[in-house]
Amino acid sequence: MTKVLPIMLLLILGFFIFSAVNIHYGQPVFDSSKYYIDHGVADTGALNIVTSIYLGYRAYDTLGEATVFFAAALGVFMLLRRSGEGERD
Amino acid sequence: MRRISNVVRIFTRKLFPFMLLYGCYLISHGHLSPGGGFQGGVIFGSAIILLGLVEGVKATEKRFQEMLLSLVKNIGMLVFVLAGFTGMFLGGFFLSDFIPKGEIGTVPSAGLILYLNLTVGFMVGTGIAVVFYRLVRFGSND
Repeated sequence: MTKVLPIMLLLILGFFIFSAVNIHYGQPVFDSSKYYIDHGVADTGALNIVTSIYLGYRAYDTLGEATVFFAAALGVFMLLRRSGEGERD
Repeated sequence: MRRISNVVRIFTRKLFPFMLLYGCYLISHGHLSPGGGFQGGVIFGSAIILLGLVEGVKATEKRFQEMLLSLVKNIGMLVFVLAGFTGMFLGGFFLSDFIPKGEIGTVPSAGLILYLNLTVGFMVGTGIAVVFYRLVRFGSND
């Protein structure tokens, strides 16, 4: 009995893995994705479609990402200082 | 400070310029091949971090001063925002492309994307190095 349960679990896991092999991601292509694939190079001039999306079509989103990173770095820069260093006021 | 094995020290010293070069390559070719600002910047920063781990932060700071790295980080963020406003004032929307696209497939192409990649890349690389400096010096008592 103690050996049946792991074997059952392994079989179920194997079933899921083998059924996931044949999944075709991105099929069929969405309308918006098709637009990016067709017009991305002509619109932005970047051969890399990922770059043409994240710095061309959605540069505002990337600005937000950069702002989050900048705020994190600035927070570490301001908070982690030893006592007496840079305290002028 | 603990002694670090010779293998790690020598390999880091040999590998360091190539890591910087690879980071710059990923940043500058972000619009042509996989990679881009964030990834190239992280490699750029991790080269500095590796040097800091192996040779100590004090020796690394002689070559890459913290204030200089912090300045590059701040200028990168500023240039990104200013580029967005420049596109707006030149008759487009925020962050619109105001630089001619050039010949597709070469490095100086894709208009604003190349310059945004440069700013993001150097901002991320130097920012990570600055965070590493601060964390290490905050933890050590000397």
